[in-house]
Amino acid sequence: MVSSQNIVSIGRKKILIYFCIFIVLILLIKLYQLQIIRYSQFAGFAEANRVRVIPIEAPRGIIYDRSGEIIAENIFQYNLNIIPYEFGASDSGYSWLANLLRISQGELKLRVQKNWRGRFLPVKVGEDIDFETLSVIEEHRLDMPGVLYSLEPIRSFPSPANLAQVLGYLREVDREVLKNIRHFGYRTGDLIGWKGIERQYEYILRGTRGYDYLQVDVFGREVGALDNKKDILPKPGNDLYLTIDLEFQAYAESLLDGKSGVIIALNADNGEIYSMVSKPDYSPNLFSGIVESKVWAELRDNPDLPLYNRATMGTYPPGSTFKINAAMTALQNHTVDEDWSVHCSGSYRLGRRPFKCWKETGHGKMNLHSAIVNSCNVFFYQLIRKMDIDLWAENARRFRFGEKTQIDLPIESVGSVPDRKFLDSKYGVNGWTEGNKLNLVIGQGDLLVTPIQMARFAAALASKGKIVQPHLGLKYFNKDNNQFTTFTTKTDSLGYYSPENWAFVQNAMYDVVNFYQGTAKSARVKDMRVYGKTGTAENPRGDAHAWFIGFCETEVHPIAVVVLVEHGGSGGTFAAPIAGKLFTYIKEKGLK
Amino acid sequence: MKRIKFNPGQATIAPLWNTNYMLIGLVGLLSIVGLITLFSASVHLELPFFKKVVGRQLLWMLVGASLAISLQFFQKKIIYDSVYILYAAGLFFLILPYFIGPSTAGTARWLILGPLHFQPSEFMKIIVILAISKHLSRRDLSISEFQSLLPAIALALIPMAIILKQPDLGTSMIYFGILFPLFFWAGVRLFHIFLILAPFISIVTAFNFYTFFIWVVIIVVVLYFSKINLVTALIIGLLNLSLGLATPVLWNRLEPYQQNRILTLFNVGADPQGAGYQVIQSQIAIGSGGLFGKGLGKGTQTHLKFLPEQHNDFIFSVIGEEYGFIGVGIVLALFLLLIILLISIAFRQRDRFNSLVILGVASALFFHIAINVAMTIGLMPVTGLPLPLLSYGGSFVLTCYGMIGIVLSINSERSQTKVELRK
Repeated sequence: MVSSQNIVSIGRKKILIYFCIFIVLILLIKLYQLQIIRYSQFAGFAEANRVRVIPIEAPRGIIYDRSGEIIAENIFQYNLNIIPYEFGASDSGYSWLANLLRISQGELKLRVQKNWRGRFLPVKVGEDIDFETLSVIEEHRLDMPGVLYSLEPIRSFPSPANLAQVLGYLREVDREVLKNIRHFGYRTGDLIGWKGIERQYEYILRGTRGYDYLQVDVFGREVGALDNKKDILPKPGNDLYLTIDLEFQAYAESLLDGKSGVIIALNADNGEIYSMVSKPDYSPNLFSGIVESKVWAELRDNPDLPLYNRATMGTYPPGSTFKINAAMTALQNHTVDEDWSVHCSGSYRLGRRPFKCWKETGHGKMNLHSAIVNSCNVFFYQLIRKMDIDLWAENARRFRFGEKTQIDLPIESVGSVPDRKFLDSKYGVNGWTEGNKLNLVIGQGDLLVTPIQMARFAAALASKGKIVQPHLGLKYFNKDNNQFTTFTTKTDSLGYYSPENWAFVQNAMYDVVNFYQGTAKSARVKDMRVYGKTGTAENPRGDAHAWFIGFCETEVHPIAVVVLVEHGGSGGTFAAPIAGKLFTYIKEKGLK
Repeated sequence: MKRIKFNPGQATIAPLWNTNYMLIGLVGLLSIVGLITLFSASVHLELPFFKKVVGRQLLWMLVGASLAISLQFFQKKIIYDSVYILYAAGLFFLILPYFIGPSTAGTARWLILGPLHFQPSEFMKIIVILAISKHLSRRDLSISEFQSLLPAIALALIPMAIILKQPDLGTSMIYFGILFPLFFWAGVRLFHIFLILAPFISIVTAFNFYTFFIWVVIIVVVLYFSKINLVTALIIGLLNLSLGLATPVLWNRLEPYQQNRILTLFNVGADPQGAGYQVIQSQIAIGSGGLFGKGLGKGTQTHLKFLPEQHNDFIFSVIGEEYGFIGVGIVLALFLLLIILLISIAFRQRDRFNSLVILGVASALFFHIAINVAMTIGLMPVTGLPLPLLSYGGSFVLTCYGMIGIVLSINSERSQTKVELRK
C-alpha cells in the first residue's frame, strides 16, 4: 500500500538524481581543466594578448548601365577608429585626437556615442583621413593605444549623368535605424542603401563583411594572426545592371538643365527605362561617403526639392494629354462616332459660366480627329457632357491611373482619378456640377497623375494595349555562382479596345506631331514616325506645366517618351521641342 | 537520499513547509547571484545600457515573483482543467509572429506588442509540461502500452516543429528534455523510450561508419533482450537500419544551400563573427578566471566582445572569469541542490499530475543549465538556451519564476490538504 502512494519507484528517482550529479560532474571536470590545469595558458591569452577582431568592410556591388558602363563603383578611403577600452577615457587622449581630426572634443565624444558598439569593438570617429594625419597616428602608436585606421570602400560615381534620385544614396546605420534591421546583420556605422535603387536592391548590392583575427599586445601592437582562427575574407556585393542607357541619360539631363521637370523614356514593349530625369537634381558624389551636415541641410531645405524624384513621386494634373482618355472612352463606348462634330468658337457656356478653349478665336468645326490634333477644349467639353463621369474614370483606371506602376523604386505616388464617389465625398452629393466634369476632361481639377504613370500610358498607346511594369533593374550578376539573373516584370494586356480604335488614336497622335496644325510640330523628326500629344496643365502655384507624351517607332520596338517642364508654359512650345531632341537622338545614335 | 515515507501526521507537515522555504531560499540566492553578475558585466557599459540591463532584469524578477505568489491563490483544479485550452492558446501565439509583424528570418520567435517583446516559446515550455503531465496522469492510461504514449509525443513534437521552423534547434530540443524525463518518471518502459529515441540516433550516427556500426550492434542487443516477438524486432531493426543507410544518400542529394539550411539549424545566428569565435572567447574568459577569479567587475575578457550575448546566453562565462572555479563550483552546486530538491518534492507527491508537473519543471531547468553551461565551456555547439535565474531576458525570467511558483503552489496545496485531513 505504501508504495502505491508514490507514483514512481525509488529506483527511478535515484537514477534521475545520479544522472544529474553525473552531468554536473562532467561540467566541473571540464571547468577544472579550463580554470586550473590550463589556467596559465588562458591567463596569458587574456592578459598579455588580446584578440582583436578587425572587421573588413565589403565593397558594395557595382551598378552598370544596360551596356556595361559604370554608373556607381567603389573607391577606398582611410577611416579612423578607436577601441574605447584601449583608448581610455582620459581628457588628454580625447583632446589630442580631437585636435588631430580638427573637430571639437564634444563632437568627438558625440561620434563615439553615436557609433558605440561595445568597449572592445572599433568605433568610427573619422572618415577620409589624409596621409598627414595617418603618419601622425603611426608616430604615436605607442602613446595612443587603441587608435587604428582602416581602409573602407565608399561609393563613387564616375558617370557623366547624375541619375541622382534614381540611384538614391547610402546612409550610416545608427542605433535608431538598427533597431529594425538588426536581424540582417547590420551594425552601427554600416552603410545601407537608404533611397532609390541603392535601397531597392540593397539585398543584391550589399556585400558580406569579413574579419581579420589578430593578436595584439597590451600596447595595441599587432603581434600576428590567431593560431586557431582563420581570417574571413569580405565578399563584395553582387553587381547590378540597370536598364538605363547612360549616354542617353546624360543627354536627357542636359536638356532640362536649369529647369524643373521630368523626362522618362522607356521601351513600350517591356517597360525597360532608358532614361529617367528629375530636375533639379544634385551630384550623387555628394553622398559618396558620409554627408556633411551642411550639404545635407542645403539639399533637404532647398525649396526646389532636389532630393525628390518627380518622375515617380510628383503628382501633377496631366492637362490636355488626358484628352486621349476621353477620346478612347467615347470611341469604344460609341458615345459619338468619328464624324460627330462640334463648332468651336473659342469658349463654351455652361449655365452662366464660360469655359474657354486655349485658342480664343476658336477652332471652327472640329471632329474627334481634328480635336485631338488641335487639342480643342470645346470639343471635349461637349463630348464629356454626353458621357457618364464614371465611364470616363473607369477607362482611366483601365490604363492603371490611380494605382502604382510597381516600378522598382521604394516610393511611388498613386495620384487620383476622380469618379462620382470621389466627387461626392469631396464636395458633397450635390456639391459638384457638370463644371467639374468639364475640368476633368481636359486633365485639370482633381485629376492627378505621376509622370511614370504617363509613361506607362504612352507605352500602352504605342504598343496598342500593353500595360508594362516600368523598371530600372535589368539583371544582376550573382558572384556565388557566376550567373546573371534577369529580373522578371509583369506585362498585362488591355485587350479591350478594337484595333480600329487604336489605329484612330495613333493616327491622331501622328498628326499632332506631323500635321501642319498639330500642337507638337516641334517634336517632328525627319524620316521617323513620331506620335504625341501635348498638354498645358494649369496649376495654382504659377505658370502652367508643359507636358508632352508620345512615342516613336524604331526597328525593334516603340519607345515611349514623357517630358514635363514644371511651370514651363505651353506644352507645344516648351515640352515638345525637348521630346523632338530626344527622338532625334534616338534616330541618329540609337539606344543600346 | 533516504526515502521519505508518507505518514499522515504532524511530523510530515513541518518538513513539507521546509521544502518550500528551501526552494524559495535557493531561487532567491541564485537570483541575487544573477543580478550581481549582470551588474558587474554591465558596469563598464555606457550608462543608458547599464540602467536598462540591471534595472529591467530587477523589474522582471519582481514581476516574476509576484506572478509566483499569485499562483498560490489559484486552485490547482482550475489549471488542471484548462491545460489543453492553454496549450491551444500557446500554439496560437507561437504561430502568430509568422503572420503579423516583420516577416523576416530570425524575428519569428518574437511577438511584439507595442513596447513589449515576448518570446512565446518560453511560456510554451510551462504549458507543454502541464499538458504532457495531464495526459500521463489520466486514470485510464495504460502506461506499459506504446500507443498510449503517442499523444504525449505529439504534444511535444508540435511546438517543437514550429520552433524548428523559426529556426531555433536549441530551444526546440527542450521539449525532448521535458518529454523523456516525464516518460521515465511516469513509469514508461525503458524499451519504449529506446524505441522513440532510436530513429534520431540512427540519423545522427549514420554520418560515420564506426558510430553507425556500434549503434547497430546496440540495437541488436537491445532487441534481443527486449522479449518482443521476432517479427516486430525485425521490423524495428530494419526500419532503423534503412533510415541510417538512407540518410547519407539523401543528404548528398541535397543542394549545398539546402544542406547549409539544415546546418544553420545547429548554429543559428549565435555566432555572427565566424564559427567558434565566441566559444574561444568564452573559454579564454573562464580559463583566465583561475581558482579564485579576477574579482567582481574586474573581468576583462567576458565583458562585451559580444554585448547582447554576455547578458543572455554567456552569463556563465562572466561568472567563470570573475568568481573563478570556486564561484562556478558554488553556482553549479546551488543548481544541483535546486534540482535534487525539486525531484524530491516531486517524489513525495501522492497525486500523479502534481508529481509529473514538478518533475517536468526540474527537467526543464536542468536541461537549460546543462546545455547552457556545456555550450559556454565548449562542450556543445552554441544554442540559444539561456541559464535559468541568471540570464538576462524578460520572457525567460517570467517562465522560470512561473515554474517555481507552480511547484510552490502544488507543494503547499498538498500540505494544506493534509492539515484538513488531520482535523
